[in-house]
This record gives sequence, structure tokens and C-alpha cells, in this order.
Amino acid sequence: MRRATCLLSLVVLGLAACARLTDHVVLLPGPDGRTGALSVTAASGEMVLSEPYTGVDVAGGKVTRLSTSAAMVREAFGPLLDMQPPRPRFFVVHFEAGKDVLTPASRSLLANVGTELASLPAGEAVVIGHTDRMGAREFNDRLSLQRAELVRERLVGAGVPRDAISVAGRGEREPVVVTADEVAEPRNRRVDIKLR
Amino acid sequence: MVFGTVHANPDPEWRAICAYCVRSLLVLCLVSAVGAAEMELPAGRVKRSQGSVTVERAGQTRAVEVGTPVYVGDRVRTAADGAVGITLSDDTLLTAGPGSTLLINEFRFNTTTNDGNLLATLLKGTLSVVTGLIGKQAPQNVSFKTPTVVLGIRGTEFIIEARGDGE
Repeated sequence: MRRATCLLSLVVLGLAACARLTDHVVLLPGPDGRTGALSVTAASGEMVLSEPYTGVDVAGGKVTRLSTSAAMVREAFGPLLDMQPPRPRFFVVHFEAGKDVLTPASRSLLANVGTELASLPAGEAVVIGHTDRMGAREFNDRLSLQRAELVRERLVGAGVPRDAISVAGRGEREPVVVTADEVAEPRNRRVDIKLR
Repeated sequence: MVFGTVHANPDPEWRAICAYCVRSLLVLCLVSAVGAAEMELPAGRVKRSQGSVTVERAGQTRAVEVGTPVYVGDRVRTAADGAVGITLSDDTLLTAGPGSTLLINEFRFNTTTNDGNLLATLLKGTLSVVTGLIGKQAPQNVSFKTPTVVLGIRGTEFIIEARGDGE
């Protein structure tokens, strides 16, 4: 499975306070609790933020460190954060050996994915097909694309516009489970679906 | 050459073949025209919009709604009652609050390798950013600016060094 795509969140606020222009920057933790780091460079120099809810004030080219909290950020930026687009969601469906035929469990999962995608505002899907290492590379390149295209057709059937879905096949290059060549591995016979 | 053949051969069968050739050429022209239009893919798409939100592109201002594509060079403006949420194609989430002007200066993203770069400027207002795949793959290629500061994204390794410096 892929990790969450979020490395860090930050809030930038630039506002004219009194006659002087003051910028604020606040570093936020991601939904998984991990926080990235941020460098803030102004005329007077650079400051690095790496702790969640730390920030800086920038006024007259001067950078001043400031400390906030989850509650303060909620208070000041709640409506802004509520307008964030939905975070991407990831799904995996699996296939029968050597074919573009979904496993029974994946068939019902895919129906739910279609419903979820149709409910997203201006929803888009990125659909990437994969194979295990049975068979020639060229065969697997074709098969992985066929699998991705099958998923696209199902999503179109669920009411998603075709142009909102991008498909690609990566053949046997990106296994979930690394194997020797000519080894059958059900977990690698899959299509990764990202909704956003 | 095709038209020359038509005039030189009044034979109906030739006419049919040549008409077919002309049609094929027309289709080819259309396909390449579509190809040219698709050369510049949108950097992202508007996912949420509230109040009055506009985008300025090539000197023209148009209203923004959910689903509107966002391109490099676009200037997105929210009025006092406006707010907008944009998802870029590397999954970066940009959310601008009321009274904001956001400029997408640079965006390039390769969906196969996750390579690319992003530069955006918040000229005024508020902006929430959740960095995406470029930020994970090549954080040094992602930056945000305001009129007074430049923000750079730093990788995990740098966090450790920065803490050392602080002590």
C-alpha cells in the first residue's frame, strides 16, 4: 500500500496589520501525525520550522518565532481548513492469473469505488494497472493496461465521466511483493486506484 | 497530389478512393489540432468554491466553479465572501480564504516518475497548503512566496540537521 500523500500542512496568512504588512506562517501536522519541515526566508534571514503548530511572524523583513496550538489554529483558520478539497483516497482491486478478470471480492469493492468517486466534487480517478512476473514483459505491459481499462469501464458505468479517469499500465515493474521472474503472486495482479 | 488525382481520373472507383484519402487527411488534421490543445494539461482543478471566485488567465477574468481547470500562470482571486479549494495533479491541496490572490507561477509534474516542481505566490489573503507527491519526492522543488517571504519545503534529513543547529 502507498503511504498517505501528505508530507506536511501549513497555513500562510498575509495581512496588513496597522500600516505595516505582517505575514504569518504556521506549520501543521499531517493527518497521520507526522510533520514535515519548512524554511521561511525573509529579508533578515532564514528560519526553519519543524515542530507542529510552530510559526513565524514576518514584519518589516524581521522574522519572529511564534508558538500556537491546535485550538488557536482552529479558532483563526477553521473556516479556511473546512474548505480544503478532500484528501486523495486509495483502493486496490485484484485480478485472476494472466487475465483481465476481477477476483470476486474485488468486483464488489470496485462498485463501492464507483459510488465514492461519483460523490466527490469534480472527482477524478488515477487508475494504474500491474501484473505479477508470470509471462513476458511485453505481455504484462499489455495485460496491465487491459486491467486498468477494465476498471475505467466499470467506473464509467458507475456514472463517472470518462475524461475524469486517467489510465496507465506499468506491467510487472512495480510489484507490491518483490518476486523472482516467472513467479505467480496474486497480490501483484492488481490495479491501484486513486480518487481525488 | 490527391486533388490532382481526382481531376486526372474521373473513374468513380478512383473518386471514392480519393474522397477517402481527403477524409483521412481531414481527420488527421483534426487529431493534431486536438493534440495541440491538449499540450498544456491543467495543473489542477477547483474542487470546492464558495462565494465570488474568479480566475485571470491571459488577461481575461472568468468566474470559477467546481470543476474549473487551473493552469500555470493563472491568478485565482477570492472576494470578501469567497473561498476556493484546488487540487493539483500531484495531489497538492491549495485552499485560499476570503480576500486572497493566488498566482500559480510554475507547475510541472510527471505522473510516472513523480518528478516536477511547484512555485506559487500568495499575493494577499490566506492560504492553506497540503503538499503532494512532488513535495515527497523532491521537496527542494516546491516553494511558496508572499510579497515578503519565501517558503521552502524541507526533507526529513534536514529536520535532524536543523534541530542540531538550534541547540
